[in-house]
Amino acid sequence: MSKQVDRRNFIKYSALAGVSAFATLATACNDGEAEETGSEVQDDFPVDEKMGILMDNSLCVECQACRVACQNENELPVEQALISFKSKEVGSYPDVKYHFSRHSCMHCEDAVCKDGCPVDALSKTEQGFTTLDFESCIGCGMCEQSCPYGVPSIFEEKMYKCDACQHLVTVGESPACVSTCAANAIKYGTYDDLVKAAQQRVETLQERYPEASLYGLEEQDGLSLLLILKTEASKLELI
Amino acid sequence: MSITRRSFIKGSAVAAGALGLSLTGLDFKGWAAKAQESEVKVKPSLCNTCSSHCGMWIHVKNDRPWKVTGHEDNMRSQGKLCARAHAGLYWIYDSDRIKQPLKRVGEEEFESISWEQAISEIAEKLNDILEESGPEAAAYGHNPRETGVFYGNRLMHALGISTVCTHNASCNTARTLGFNHTMGGVPHADLSNSNYVVLIGRNLGGGIRTSELIEFTEGVKEGAKVVCVDPRQNDSAKIADEWIPIRPGTDLALVLAMCQVIVEEDLYDKEFIDNYTLDFDKFAETLPQYTPEWAAEITDIEADKIRSLARELAENKPNCLVHPSWKGAFGSNYENSTETARAVAYINALLGNVNQPGGLFFSYNSPEIGSLDTLDPEEPQTPRTDGVGVEGEFPLATSHGLPHVIAEKAAEGIVKSIFIRHHNPVRNFPDYEHMVAGYKNLDLLVVFETHMSETAILADYILPECSFAEREEVVEARGGADRGSVSIRTEAVPKVHPETKSFDEIIVLLAEELGIEEYFDFTLDEVNKARLEPLDISLAELKEKGSISMELPEPSNEVEFSTDSGKFEFYSEDFARYGFSGIAGWKEPAVGYKTANNEFKVIHGKQAYHSQTVSANIPQLAQITKDYDSNRIWMNRAKAEELGINDGDKIKLTSPIATKEVKVKVTERVHPDTLYMPAGYGNKTPYYETAQKIDSLNPNDLTPYQTESIAGHAMMQEVIVKAEKA
Repeated sequence: MSKQVDRRNFIKYSALAGVSAFATLATACNDGEAEETGSEVQDDFPVDEKMGILMDNSLCVECQACRVACQNENELPVEQALISFKSKEVGSYPDVKYHFSRHSCMHCEDAVCKDGCPVDALSKTEQGFTTLDFESCIGCGMCEQSCPYGVPSIFEEKMYKCDACQHLVTVGESPACVSTCAANAIKYGTYDDLVKAAQQRVETLQERYPEASLYGLEEQDGLSLLLILKTEASKLELI
Repeated sequence: MSITRRSFIKGSAVAAGALGLSLTGLDFKGWAAKAQESEVKVKPSLCNTCSSHCGMWIHVKNDRPWKVTGHEDNMRSQGKLCARAHAGLYWIYDSDRIKQPLKRVGEEEFESISWEQAISEIAEKLNDILEESGPEAAAYGHNPRETGVFYGNRLMHALGISTVCTHNASCNTARTLGFNHTMGGVPHADLSNSNYVVLIGRNLGGGIRTSELIEFTEGVKEGAKVVCVDPRQNDSAKIADEWIPIRPGTDLALVLAMCQVIVEEDLYDKEFIDNYTLDFDKFAETLPQYTPEWAAEITDIEADKIRSLARELAENKPNCLVHPSWKGAFGSNYENSTETARAVAYINALLGNVNQPGGLFFSYNSPEIGSLDTLDPEEPQTPRTDGVGVEGEFPLATSHGLPHVIAEKAAEGIVKSIFIRHHNPVRNFPDYEHMVAGYKNLDLLVVFETHMSETAILADYILPECSFAEREEVVEARGGADRGSVSIRTEAVPKVHPETKSFDEIIVLLAEELGIEEYFDFTLDEVNKARLEPLDISLAELKEKGSISMELPEPSNEVEFSTDSGKFEFYSEDFARYGFSGIAGWKEPAVGYKTANNEFKVIHGKQAYHSQTVSANIPQLAQITKDYDSNRIWMNRAKAEELGINDGDKIKLTSPIATKEVKVKVTERVHPDTLYMPAGYGNKTPYYETAQKIDSLNPNDLTPYQTESIAGHAMMQEVIVKAEKA
């Protein structure tokens, strides 16, 4: 199962994303025998439990490492980033706060994108992530219309969004954004563990930032991308 | 064949196509289908997008580098990588790479030649110059990392050439000089264990060294209070407790006033001062004038704020720090930068934080590297042509040298030959015209490069290196708290362009032709085996693993400084000897600290996803710039309103040397006297097509050629511009 997902995923983006993806790392491939000198799988996460990604915006510096790691991992066209950041200045000089948050698929429990997809290309996995069958997708944009967060992006008649690196999480590894983050800001784990960790962190943060909050426990019946915010979600216009 | 920019690009495109065609029929689907059958090979390397050399694994699928992941056993990466590392893979197969030795045959016009011709012509010209004008007429400039130091410096020393320069005079030489002459070196900031951190201009979230960002965010998570002092709200300030905007170039006044408060209110560590420092009294005598009220007028920070900051910091002693920084505010920016560095060293001494958890550490170890038993050239005694160590010029400047002064000497015809490797002084020092005039006037400019940088396009000969992923290099050792690592670059992918060579290969060829081959009678493997010998690690094992980490002795709390006296020195005999102030005190920036209504100081600083101007040509990074419209200059909203300027407008900036236009970002996050320009834009080379799409202002086009009086650095931010709507 794992390898199939890996390969299908690989093909789905690289074949269809076409020239621009190829141009990024265009190179020679020869007929030499490929050998396996495996990178050790560092992580050993469950593959059949409800999982989640916890984004701690109080530690993130918007360095964009997650974005580019994701692009390479999923062989995306240069123009397509599955992770972006929404930001806002509040107040005026010198008492100005800069609020921002990761913007990517929230992996809603109640995934309205899935319900509205005319070709049933979207589905929920056992781990709780929302995934796309890239080959079935016709790029109609229904999901783009219905997503409460405005996440799906249509490019060359296909939809692009984060699928939590299915080829990695289904073999017990972390998504690429998590494993590259040098700011200690993104964690991957079982949903229950992450909720506990997040609640603790928010409690600590509230000592200095009374408005600190955890976003995602109730929205859309729960999100598998949980956000720790230094301020109220309303100030970020998350919904 | 004569090569101009047009034919170079056309040639590349053809070559890339040919490369593709020779594979699986240039059919991407076919390639992808084939790729699904193949497993992934993983090869160790060291990143090359900035100079931190993070350890990484290059994942190769069907002989095509697919992605990189951070190497767990490398002190710099610790398993993590930044955006630049991921995107830097692009360079390996970039069609804009230099593929064969080039000789200049006209204005920015090149002819491809054989290695034999290149090496013999370069050797002949260099020998003529050395014979006619002596070794003072030649210089070498590079970004100093192990391979460039070992092979490059060795070649220069064998030829009697003493003028070896690095990029540091545009980076951190003032910081280094100031710390050397107080603490005897630059300590490591123990960010992950600190209770209170003051960052003056150091943007850990933008000028990223991966290991430092890891430590910093660990510290934040553990509850350290972080205060960012910077004219703009930088990336570190996003996760800090407080941002204190300051007028550019006045950090020295702030630090002196904080010292004044700490001493006057008896908040300093007396035991530390008594036991480990010299001449505290001389320093204390100077302090009464530096009241918070005095500093408030200069810095634009309220006196009460300065007082409370000093008190809070001192309450947390010794587990607190004022960051020694890097380039930031006082690495090479202002006439007072060296004095600012000394003052930052002073305040840390008052906190007694040396070798204390959460303070500054000198006792971090590095794995002990061996050396090859071979004939070493003597270090030449020839006076340096850039004036470093020369009385009457820059007697105290560090051995990193002064590439901007070299440009002047070249324009005067005193310097006739420069070798440049992995370094782009022409673009990355102030005053492009000044740098071009100098480098153009050389009889022999040889550039070792992978790409046609602004310095390369002026070269007489360009010698193409293979990319970082295609070459082995000299073993590197890095230290840390109680761990260290040794690392090596390996040939992760086969050479893409057969006519490229690694730096060590090129230097050995040159040495043979120059008749000094006796200094190079060894292989790279022999150098590396000798370096690893004391560590009981075989070269074969290191090549397989890339980086190996090892336990080192726990850092000790013993306080010992590498100064002449072995103590922290408030008063510098060396400074006094050469007519500088023995005790660091207030000194204005060269252009003053105040600006008129429509005038601004221009500051710059890194974005986390660009590395000087070298990365603007990487499509994934350029796309980030496009998506966030982030190559605009920041202007304070109230000031913009006064001047009738709106967000997104083009503005015209007039400096003493140029008038430039740039798009503006109107924001509350910058001091009203300040314009902040993100660094990394404004390439001048016509060969970087992607970079041209995100072209913008490079502050080096506004700042004149200047030298600071003590460290001799380039005073990167000593400029005032007039701004108006374009």
